[in-house]
Amino acid sequence: VLNRRCVEAAVMTGLALNCHINKKSLFDRKHFFYADLPAGYQITQQRVPIAVNGSLSYSLCIDNKMSQMVTKTVRIKQIQLEQDSGKSLRDDIRSQTLVDLNRAGVGLMELVMEPDMCCGEEAAAAVRELQLILQTLGSSQAVMAEGQLRVDANVSVHHPGEPYGVRTEVKNINSIRFLAKAVDYEIQRQIEELGNGRTILNETRAFDSKLGCTVPMRDKEGKQDYRFMPEPNLPPLILYDAKSLPANMNYQQLINIDWIHERLPDLPTVKREKLVEQYGILPEHSFTLLNEDGLAEFFESVVKQTQMKPKKVIGWILNDLLSYLKQHSLTVKESPVSSFLLADLLNLLEKKEISSTAAKRVLAELWKGEGKTPLETVKEQKLELLQDQKELEQICQAVIDGQENE
Amino acid sequence: QVSAALKEGRVTPTELCQRCLALIKSTKFLNAYITVTEETALKLAEESEERYKRGQPLGILDGIPIAVKDNFNTAGIETTCASKMLRGYISPYNATVVQKILDQGAVLLGKTNLDEFAMGSGSTDGVFGPVRNPWSYSKQYKEKSVPKSHSEDKESDWVITGGSSGGSAAAVSSFTCFAALGSDTGGSTRNPAAHCGVVGLKPTYGLISRHGLIPLVNSMDVPGILTRCVDDAAVLLGSLAGHDPKDSTTIQDDFKPFELPNLTDVSKLSIGIPKEYNAPGLSSEVLALWSKAADLFKNAGAKVVEVSLPHTRYSIVCYHVLCTAEVASNMARFDGLEYGHRSDVKDSTESMYAATRREGFNDVVRGRILSGNYFLLKQNYEKYFVKAQKVRRLIANDFMKVFRSGVDILLTPTTLSDAAPYTEFIQEDNRTRSAQDDILTQAANMAGLPAINVPTALSERGLPVGLQFIGRSFQEKQLLTVAKWFEKQVQFPVIQLEEVKRHDNGVFQHQKSASFS
Repeated sequence: VLNRRCVEAAVMTGLALNCHINKKSLFDRKHFFYADLPAGYQITQQRVPIAVNGSLSYSLCIDNKMSQMVTKTVRIKQIQLEQDSGKSLRDDIRSQTLVDLNRAGVGLMELVMEPDMCCGEEAAAAVRELQLILQTLGSSQAVMAEGQLRVDANVSVHHPGEPYGVRTEVKNINSIRFLAKAVDYEIQRQIEELGNGRTILNETRAFDSKLGCTVPMRDKEGKQDYRFMPEPNLPPLILYDAKSLPANMNYQQLINIDWIHERLPDLPTVKREKLVEQYGILPEHSFTLLNEDGLAEFFESVVKQTQMKPKKVIGWILNDLLSYLKQHSLTVKESPVSSFLLADLLNLLEKKEISSTAAKRVLAELWKGEGKTPLETVKEQKLELLQDQKELEQICQAVIDGQENE
Repeated sequence: QVSAALKEGRVTPTELCQRCLALIKSTKFLNAYITVTEETALKLAEESEERYKRGQPLGILDGIPIAVKDNFNTAGIETTCASKMLRGYISPYNATVVQKILDQGAVLLGKTNLDEFAMGSGSTDGVFGPVRNPWSYSKQYKEKSVPKSHSEDKESDWVITGGSSGGSAAAVSSFTCFAALGSDTGGSTRNPAAHCGVVGLKPTYGLISRHGLIPLVNSMDVPGILTRCVDDAAVLLGSLAGHDPKDSTTIQDDFKPFELPNLTDVSKLSIGIPKEYNAPGLSSEVLALWSKAADLFKNAGAKVVEVSLPHTRYSIVCYHVLCTAEVASNMARFDGLEYGHRSDVKDSTESMYAATRREGFNDVVRGRILSGNYFLLKQNYEKYFVKAQKVRRLIANDFMKVFRSGVDILLTPTTLSDAAPYTEFIQEDNRTRSAQDDILTQAANMAGLPAINVPTALSERGLPVGLQFIGRSFQEKQLLTVAKWFEKQVQFPVIQLEEVKRHDNGVFQHQKSASFS
């Protein structure tokens, strides 16, 4: 029986990626024997998937300094609904394979991209953007380490002007960083192989994260005939839009594409543009804001609570807050300094009660998370800026006098 | 009638249950049952009795003993499909149709025998042995049999039940239960119904839920109903039909259970006689009976016309391709890992699969799996599977055309002849037999149409012969109404079994056709 939520998630994702949604899509059985496939077949959409011909835009920094961003696009071939298999766990000690069937049968969305990317960095950036989109839509939490987003990379090399080379499929990639590494390694490996006069096999390889290389996978066969057959227990999936919605049917049983389209939340690209427009920050800045979970909200929260201009706030967010969090491997949510505290501190700076250097010292104190307010810290460390002209003159005079005495 | 008897207290559910159980024991030689759920049955009967005492029966089916073919899942009860592969398998859930009859208070007597995984037309190829047709032991048959020489074993005279729901048909026919559930993919309910002299109904595809029915051909399987009279079939249909969210192939429309009217005037009826159903191998007896039936309608004022279903002769091959393909797919789940039989071979997963499947399945099943996989291979898919689907559409269209031209019901024979003796039947292999026997019943499965076998008369040898009515999709009411009229006209004789007489002391005797409605 088809899961409604899965269909809705697939439609949302398809719309977000500019795909054409097929109003009629079909289900098929893909047959093969494997310990984690209890039915001996997997239900998928081989003939007519739910969405086709979309595109995903992502941004890339030209150099490492985050000063210039360029936008690239990768075409989405299709999105299809299918069943998950169970999980196989290899127990090398006892030379056996354990099978966990809890996952088998759960709905999956498979997204197939065209080979429009040229290196690990592009692949990683594209997948990262996809992750953000999926999280924004709520289709998936897309955490790779938990298997919520699984990525297989297909890599091939060719000389410019020549047709695409033989591709290999790389599996077992558990994070975006590893994705970039795996792709780059495989590219190098293929170039070397070809350089040595050998050929590339159309095979499946596994990424070994410890060694940072790809190795051929033992279990998967070369070419298999999957004996595709239409799934007889699932009638064709019919989706409607505002025009084609039948008058007298039970709405619980239908999905209206236009209805879903109207309710799509702002996608990351739109959100970034809005941040730039609203706060006058640079595109690179808004990119980083969205890249960290919760950072954009933190930023906006600080801006609301302080008189300091957003253009200045952003520096504190990106340079100070973020680097501290990174150093200590903390997420924004785990930050010992709340947006309230930071705003408070920035207000002191803005009112010229402390200097910029002093502010940094206060911040360092606040990181300790001892519950002191910025004002308390300033008083404690006597970091107040002296505003009194007379007093300043006296101090300067004392310094000069001191100098003369040497 | 028995339901009324229960209501009025003339007989109690436990008495009824006990009589049936005793009868099952004394007819054990029929081998109709694989599992007899004695304890459960008695418990259900007791609960039913309580309800009757309080004057609150759940419905007509409350307290009625019913048997279920062993390819339906029954919670806590072994479900084997007559195969080594599932021996000892205890279902964790009830099939929707089983749940429905239990919800109505029916008393589940046990699981009936069948051809392994419902593949076959004789109920002879199951792992628990063949089912014997109760009519083999009837007075009517014995009187007509040619006396054999002393040296021959009298035992080997018995005739087959037909298949694959042979156990269910035999159970109903021998009075051990009042109704039984079977399944029908190519005729598996109607064929044994004809041979055993009972009513066998194949409902429209999509009317009754298949959830819990271990699938053979998902696009053709339906649960089948076997009863002693047409009214009973209507009652059972009323309890079972309707949308099931767990089966996406059931239709959404509301189903309204109906009572069958007593038709008296057939002048507005148009009966179609498809000429292609005068198939090769059709016995002269059956042909004559078919003609007589057509005349019956004509003389009563109905319009009887000859029609043509030109693609009938392609249906066997078409069925063969589609059936084996789906079978190969559906049998893929039996790999010995999660449930069922597992071979002791441990060298590798693949060798375990191979050994398990070789040991667990009989030749028939393995043969179909191999054929099916062949047809599904990439290089063969277009040539066989897709072509067969197209031919299937043509076959279905044949029926549409005929029904659109004003014909209401089609009348055809159900089987080529009366039941064959077992020793004769096994001379040919399962595939050949199925190909021969299914020809009259299988087109209805291809087109998803409702069809019913009504026992018509006894053959020269004293065995039952039935005729088949095929109706328009979802027009079971019309179909059953006509069937009921016909049933009344032919007055098919009651089987005279010694064993039944012994156990019968009033309850069964009351009823000429032993119905429960």
